[in-house]
Amino acid sequence: MTALSLALLVPWAAGLALVVLDGRRRAVGWVAVATLVATLAVLAVLAAAVLRRGAVEYVTGGWPAGVGIVLRADALGVTFALLSVFVVLVAAAAEAVVGVRERTFPGLLVLLAAGLNGLFLTGDVFNFYVFFEMSMIAAYVLTAYGAQRAQLRAAVIFASVNLLGSFIFLLAVAGTYRVTGTLAMSDVAVRIAEVPASAAVAVAVGFFVAFSVKLGLFPFHYWLPTVYANTRPAVAAVLSGAVANIGAYGLLRFGAGIFTDQLRFSATVLIALGGASIIYGGVLAVARRRPAEMLAYSAIGQVGYVLVAVGVGGPAGLAAAVLYSVVNALNKALLFLTTAVRGPLVAGAFVVGALSVAGVPPAVGFVGKLAVFRTAVDARSPTLVALLVLGSALSLLYLFLIYQREFWAEDDEEVSADADDARGEHTRSVSLRAIAVALALVLLVGGAWPEPLAALSAAAADSVATEADGATR
Amino acid sequence: MTLAIAAVAAVLFGAGSYLLLQRSLIRVVAGIALISQCAIVTIIGSSLSEGRAAIDPEQGGPLSDPLPQALALTALVIGMGTLALLLALVHRVVVAHGTAERDELRDVDRPAVVDPEGAGRREGDETE
Repeated sequence: MTALSLALLVPWAAGLALVVLDGRRRAVGWVAVATLVATLAVLAVLAAAVLRRGAVEYVTGGWPAGVGIVLRADALGVTFALLSVFVVLVAAAAEAVVGVRERTFPGLLVLLAAGLNGLFLTGDVFNFYVFFEMSMIAAYVLTAYGAQRAQLRAAVIFASVNLLGSFIFLLAVAGTYRVTGTLAMSDVAVRIAEVPASAAVAVAVGFFVAFSVKLGLFPFHYWLPTVYANTRPAVAAVLSGAVANIGAYGLLRFGAGIFTDQLRFSATVLIALGGASIIYGGVLAVARRRPAEMLAYSAIGQVGYVLVAVGVGGPAGLAAAVLYSVVNALNKALLFLTTAVRGPLVAGAFVVGALSVAGVPPAVGFVGKLAVFRTAVDARSPTLVALLVLGSALSLLYLFLIYQREFWAEDDEEVSADADDARGEHTRSVSLRAIAVALALVLLVGGAWPEPLAALSAAAADSVATEADGATR
Repeated sequence: MTLAIAAVAAVLFGAGSYLLLQRSLIRVVAGIALISQCAIVTIIGSSLSEGRAAIDPEQGGPLSDPLPQALALTALVIGMGTLALLLALVHRVVVAHGTAERDELRDVDRPAVVDPEGAGRREGDETE
């Protein structure tokens, strides 16, 4: 319980203080990094408690259960919270070592972490919305970081599209309250079974659209390439590695945990949309030229795998979805960070990230791909397996196109010029390269020793399944 | 009553979506503001019950459901915050780009974005 409260209070209080201070001073940047490390430590303690003794619940304000807002940490929530705070921490460190340029940046990163923690660790649908909006507001401002014309344009697009998504979510929340008369996730899961099918499907579609916008799934992806390609690398890493987790978590929590019947009902649609995402993202990434833009399309393709795994469902499918979300977030964080730097070691880090996205053994991506392939084989669908193979082949192709253009042509000033002026002038910073290499090592270690990750995602999928089971009983 | 609220929400959402598709960024912001109001009207409509406010209940009398009211208040505050943020962002865009028309926003510092295919390919051919 203490760890649960601290996981929200530490980044929230520190974030508020940091926003007031001038983030351009080195010390402030490092205080933000230290806060995030502390948050990560608290989350690790919480995760250990959750894995050992099951979900931790805490009703806020000392109200009786059913009246007060419930904070709830289960395996799924702590997995995503750990992942997101880790990615935010890496991005904060990457900006802190080269010097933050805007005064609010470190504080906003910490507040983003607070919002993400809150939404992963809540048991209440409306509370989810509040934390969701808190992290999104931080993300809107972060997108404008750098304040060049490109970033401002990206921020306006990002904010307007995602606000629309947020209000669709709010409409779905209102619908949920209308049809079930409650907003506690566990009660909604129980009562949704007695709701007329059409109303339940309408509400479920509202949630699905809201999370798909956040995740950038095909047909809701249109905002994503402009935003990811035009923000600064550290921010792109945060958006794709931490903020996009909201979408994946939402699909798992709301889709598999609450609207179980509706999810089963629409499984074919989800798998078709996921497949379309994989092919669309892959083909367009091959056709693009700038690395950041290729990676943005790659992000659209990669979330397709998560949706396919959720659509297939079952314990194996959900575990694969969790595992793939974790792997994908780490991959994208690493790849976006490497677009900012150059050098032989970074080239090596990029190759690790590329292999991980394509699902080649030494990197952790292999574990994720393997799990998704296993669910496709379990679903006895040759088409699906062929689709996944095609998607992986495309990802290998575009990533090595980037490698060839960016790292082999390194001495060519004309090519690396793009990296230099568009993505920041710290392309040769040693400490920034060290961070990219460290993240690549994390991916390699995860690939060499995947048991903890596999156990964590299995526990997470299990926690979703028990929530759904509790509803049907 | 529910029908009236549903109609109001529908009109707000429709008008908001229409504005959202306009070229002027100011209209886009107005569209988002309208859609946020639509969400709040829907929240209020999600549980309509006549009665006294929950803070001052009459003994045995009917009580209005306080939860949607609390939700609407929270959503209003968040909506106002995001609206202010969006307006500030648009202001920054107008200062940097010199226009509030969506189609005129261009990254002059990087023309490759305008035509990534053509410009990119040619550049690539030269270097390879």
